[in-house]
Amino acid sequence: MIELENVSKTYGGHAALSNVSLKVERGDMAFITGPSGAGKTTLFKLLYLAEKPDEGTITIAGCNAADLKSSSIPLVRRNIGVVFQDFKLLNNKTVYDNIALTLRIRGFMEREIKERVHSVLKMVNLRHKVDNYPLTLSGGEQQRITIARSIVGEPTVMLADEPTGNLDEENEKEIMRIFKQINTKGTTILIATHNRALYKNTARKVFFLEGGILKGEEE
Amino acid sequence: MFSLRLALQSVIKEKWMSLLSMLSIGVMLFILVSVAVIVYNVEKLTARLPERLTVMVILKDGVTSEENKAVLAAIKAEPTVKVVTFVSKEKALDELRRSLKKDDFILKGFADNPLFDSFDVKIKSEGVRVDDVKRLIQKIKSMKAVDDVEYGEALMDSVYALKSGLRALGLSIGIVFVCSVTFICYTTVKILFYRHKEEIEVYKLLGATRWFVRAPFFIEGSIIGILGGVMGSGMLMGFYYYFLRKLVADIPMFTFMSIPVQFMYLLPAVGMLLGLGGSVLALGRLKY
Ligand SMILES: Nc1ncnc2c1ncn2[C@@H]1O[C@H](COP(=O)(O)OP(=O)(O)OP(=O)(O)O)[C@@H](O)[C@H]1O
Ligand SMILES: [Mg+2]
Repeated sequence: MIELENVSKTYGGHAALSNVSLKVERGDMAFITGPSGAGKTTLFKLLYLAEKPDEGTITIAGCNAADLKSSSIPLVRRNIGVVFQDFKLLNNKTVYDNIALTLRIRGFMEREIKERVHSVLKMVNLRHKVDNYPLTLSGGEQQRITIARSIVGEPTVMLADEPTGNLDEENEKEIMRIFKQINTKGTTILIATHNRALYKNTARKVFFLEGGILKGEEE
Repeated sequence: MFSLRLALQSVIKEKWMSLLSMLSIGVMLFILVSVAVIVYNVEKLTARLPERLTVMVILKDGVTSEENKAVLAAIKAEPTVKVVTFVSKEKALDELRRSLKKDDFILKGFADNPLFDSFDVKIKSEGVRVDDVKRLIQKIKSMKAVDDVEYGEALMDSVYALKSGLRALGLSIGIVFVCSVTFICYTTVKILFYRHKEEIEVYKLLGATRWFVRAPFFIEGSIIGILGGVMGSGMLMGFYYYFLRKLVADIPMFTFMSIPVQFMYLLPAVGMLLGLGGSVLALGRLKY
């Protein structure tokens, strides 16, 4: 489902990723960990096709990233739910509209959008904030809205970049419970995190990244 | 539907910029249509010019009556000719005498009749262009029995020159203003696009197609164009009711001026096309 082969990416002479190969099977829940600046976000950017690798091949959701025409990039992205580290919420739109956007882009009917948005908001315990604007929410609330937005389209692959970075332990557990629930429904999930507790007793697979180099892999 | 809503929201949110663009488009389209009205009226006016023209065909001296008849028949056969009357030199002399009245002593100096036989040719009033008249005159001139043809040559030529000059001027003004309107839409949409740049990035990351991203801007450009056109029509109407009517009341010479109603409907459509064109130009090369 997710596969990198000898992937390298440099930013102005600085290697953010060098010669990384990894594989996440369909239906897996895997973790990437490593210190700040290790290249986790960079790896995600390559996966959701926002950046191109300098070298190596990337396969995601059954597509070879290098072979994709620019017109089919949006269609591949619709299969990928992303929790961005910096959220990327639209501050001039309500929580409802932010989450609904994912579905409007896909051409859903408003009735179904309403149903789905309310259902994911219930999952992240933020139903009462439906008409709020992102900047009136706490960091943890914004993060949960981002998670709600990433799952509302029922993607086949989820990429979550530090999804619990702003959350207390209780919410963290709740989010992990949601991820596991989605995972059991068949969604492949890759989570980047510094938080050992997150993967200590849940993960099947953990990749250790440091300075852009894959240091190890644990089953 | 969603795109339409986004576009409307954006127009309302950026109402000052949108309004300013619409106003400039309105003014430009108004000027454009005014030029069109002037050209239209001049065309209309000069289209009836040939009927006011009398062509005098002067025959050579000593033309036999057979030749005379042949010329008459040939001229009569022309589709642009309404009436042909023969004026013999005796008749011409009589007329001249009558018009000179007491001063007819001038004519006594002539032993013979100094005048000539001629035809007065009247041109049809409908569907005859200046070009046709010119061709007709060339044809008559080339006949053997014809000495010369006289007509309002100077007048016709100057009107002709004026008309083609006006057409060229109208066309160049038209092109300039069409480009300007397109350019205004282009810049407006470009600015709106850059204001929404971050939002658009998010749209793309969530899987929006190129079309989905661009549609609201196309719609927005069109809306600005349409409303600009409506403003232009409004100005035209205002001009018509408050200015032209007064003018006609004061100086009846301008009664011939008219503004075709089609222009009123046409302006918003033209505005829309140009607005759409401008926005397509603005976002045409948008890459993924
Ligand atoms: N657009 C960019 N231009 C230049 N350098 C970049 C760019 N993006 C990332 N980098 C560099 O690449 C390296 C990896 O960055 P990345 O964001 O992938 O780290 P990370 O593992 O996600 O860190 P964190 O845990 O702090 O989020 C860093 O040294 C960063 O400075
Ligand atoms: Mg990061």
